[in-house]
Amino acid sequence: MNLLVYSLIVPVIASLVAPSLSPKKATHIVSLSFLVPFVVAFAGLFTMDKQNIILAELSRPIGDFYLLIDPISNAIGLTVCLVSAMVGYYSLPYMLHRFEEMGYGESEYRKYIIIYGFYAVSMLWLVYSGNFVLLYIFLEISLITSFLLIYLYGYGNRRWVAVLYFIWTNVAGVLTLIGFIIAGLDNSSFAIKDISFISFTAWLLIFIGMLIKLPGLGPHIWLPWAHAEAPTPVSALLSPLTVGLAGYILLRVYLIDPSFISTYRDIILVYAIISSIYAGFAVFKQTDYKRLLAYSTVSQMGYILIGLCLGTYGLIGVVIQYMSHAFGKSILFMGAGGIIAVYHGLRDLRKMGGLHEYVPSISNATLMGFMNLGGILTIGMFGEFFILRGIVDVFGSNLMSELPLIVAVVFIFILSGWYSFYTLKRVFYGLPKEMSRPKVSRYLDVPLYMIGILSILFIFPPLVTVLLNGLKAVIGGGI
Amino acid sequence: MEALIVSIILLTLGAIFSLKDSRIGFIASILALVAAMLTLSPDVYFYGVLIFAIAILNLITLYITKNQIKGVDYALSAIMAVATLLVIMTNDFATLMATFVLVSVPTYVLVMLGDEPKVDLGIKYITFMVLATILFIIGAFITVYSYQSNPALYVLGYVMLILGLALEVGVAPLHEWVPDVFASADPIPISIIASIAKFVPFIVAFKILISTANPALETITMFSALLAVVSMFVGNIGALTSKEHGRVLGYSTVANMGYVLATFVAIVNLNYIYLAISGALLQLMANSAGKIGFFTAIKKNEVGSPVTFALAFSFVGMPPFMGFWSKLFIVLSIVNTGYLWLAILLVINSAISVPYYFRLARELGRGWGSGIANLVGILTVLITLITIYPPDWFVQSVKVIVSSFNIAM
Repeated sequence: MNLLVYSLIVPVIASLVAPSLSPKKATHIVSLSFLVPFVVAFAGLFTMDKQNIILAELSRPIGDFYLLIDPISNAIGLTVCLVSAMVGYYSLPYMLHRFEEMGYGESEYRKYIIIYGFYAVSMLWLVYSGNFVLLYIFLEISLITSFLLIYLYGYGNRRWVAVLYFIWTNVAGVLTLIGFIIAGLDNSSFAIKDISFISFTAWLLIFIGMLIKLPGLGPHIWLPWAHAEAPTPVSALLSPLTVGLAGYILLRVYLIDPSFISTYRDIILVYAIISSIYAGFAVFKQTDYKRLLAYSTVSQMGYILIGLCLGTYGLIGVVIQYMSHAFGKSILFMGAGGIIAVYHGLRDLRKMGGLHEYVPSISNATLMGFMNLGGILTIGMFGEFFILRGIVDVFGSNLMSELPLIVAVVFIFILSGWYSFYTLKRVFYGLPKEMSRPKVSRYLDVPLYMIGILSILFIFPPLVTVLLNGLKAVIGGGI
Repeated sequence: MEALIVSIILLTLGAIFSLKDSRIGFIASILALVAAMLTLSPDVYFYGVLIFAIAILNLITLYITKNQIKGVDYALSAIMAVATLLVIMTNDFATLMATFVLVSVPTYVLVMLGDEPKVDLGIKYITFMVLATILFIIGAFITVYSYQSNPALYVLGYVMLILGLALEVGVAPLHEWVPDVFASADPIPISIIASIAKFVPFIVAFKILISTANPALETITMFSALLAVVSMFVGNIGALTSKEHGRVLGYSTVANMGYVLATFVAIVNLNYIYLAISGALLQLMANSAGKIGFFTAIKKNEVGSPVTFALAFSFVGMPPFMGFWSKLFIVLSIVNTGYLWLAILLVINSAISVPYYFRLARELGRGWGSGIANLVGILTVLITLITIYPPDWFVQSVKVIVSSFNIAM
């Protein structure tokens, strides 16, 4: 048995034990428990661990349930672990503040921490799932738990938003499931290792399903609601981790059989670019800070779709983009939540400005978050690099078609940086408004820096070389 | 057969002596169920245990209600369960028909029970049920006696059988009685009608149609597919637009019966028929557990929201609850037969059912009492959670069961 299997069980046990402890102890136990698989996944990345570990041998057509371990799952797995652990710490002051606001006692934290734990655990297990049925199971568990967190502790019309979120993403999930089923019946197994081809109908259903979840332009309407009205620790998992997993699933399907994407590459690429640009511009119009971040997610998910169309380099770009977006967006949501917590629900951008004066620690962390989105001096830089390299690789033979594409994609990168610093200016710089200088709990800023530092460390060897070599070994292509 | 006779004698005696003390009826009912369980072969053990659990829950919920024939009601409920346990083993046509009648007739009485007698409702219900029984039994006869010789007659038999089944379990557009009866009768007897009474009609129909599988099925199976789709939509839209909890659950039954009926398309291609039947049975079990839990919550205000939400998740088809696996197997078998459109409609339907199940969960999960009602709720959740270990075990046992489906006529 691989060490990873045991380490993946640690957060499950911690989540089950946590409700019997005090909020502070529960937070430490759950957050630390995610650092165990984090360390193991990190080590796995260094050793280029690549294996399948059978969990249960089920009869066909279901096929084996197994854990799929390779540098891709380790890279995404460690991202999920780190963000879940840091957001776990951050939850403590934030949720206690939220319970106070809602008139609940501290005992509500028991319910919260167990649902939170299972939410994060389900995403972690999803990453390592080597069977489409198993993968779907974790996809839906992550949906139930995130639904419950929004339903119970969200803002605004939280029940309506939660049901909206649930229906959209459930439809996405089941369309994907039917796609999986067709693929499973065609290959008489759902185990990824036994599937050799995916028919057009199956691909189409999986693609549409994951496009809703990702989301692309059109089906994106649920996202700004869900991400904005969720309690901030949930937004800080939902946006950085959950939606990107749709991209991860598409990547896994692509690695089995790329036929669909390679046939419709041009259409998907154009759609992804439009999606990204539209959402990027929509960011400027927002007046609610969390909604703004939600639109930025839609724009960033466009990158993932673009990368998916760009051959092996693009796929490496997808994984790195997932990581950089997860790091950046979790910092940003936590930063937004920090402002909500210390200024009693302040989310309106029109009432902000010059906050750097009052909450410098959050402001500096937010800068790191936006650097990740903009691809500046963080792991995001490599994501953008590989996407551009992919365009040249795929369309290089034809300068006429290449040039507009490169211009469009570079424009998207510029747009991201542009709205990032524009938002920074709106929130933190400029003339300070009359506000008091609050005391910021260390739980509300230290986790942000932990993520930020790792995102910067990842551009230096040995981390970057290990990551790129690992991804190259699975996805292929020279670097 | 002996088990059936022993059980009936036990139940009759129990019913007679329960006039003295109603607890005697309760104990006799459990003994009769145990007697039936003992005769099951190991292949059907998983099925048996789950049905046994549902039957016991039915008895417990009856225990917490008062009615005019206290004591006899246990026997009525138990005989249905005994028939449901034995139907899976029998391949004798006459016994199959007998089990059908044994689960149908006790409901005529059960539907009228409650804090106040509901005779009007009972008459309405009985009228529909008598029609259903006649259609079903005559349809079964015609199918069995014509499948080798007369395709036209076979088609008639098939249609009558499916219509009888539809009327009996409440598949739209023959669902007329369901929402009314579910909304106005006492919740506890209705939870029995909504749970244990649904298995036998489907199993008997499966057994008959699989044993008489005939080329004419290829075309006529579309009839079942259409009924299934109509039922899903009527059920879910009806539930979405209804307010009364009983009525919502009635429409939910209509939708669920549509999901189960959809598995009948798998009979034209028998290679994955065991998945279809596993899906149908698990769907019926998930439906039973959910209905018992929800109706108990209507009756007593002491079922907690964790219970009602868990049941709602199962109904909606969320893993690891049973409702997920049942729908997965149903969809697998339907897609395998080439009815992709039916599978997609089924899945869309399970998505549009989300709002009303959550509404039920929110409105019915009102407390966390330490009484029997909440215990029943927790037990129903445990039943739906039994699939936390992937139910390959159930599929394997059904595979063995199905291989023996061959009716002696």
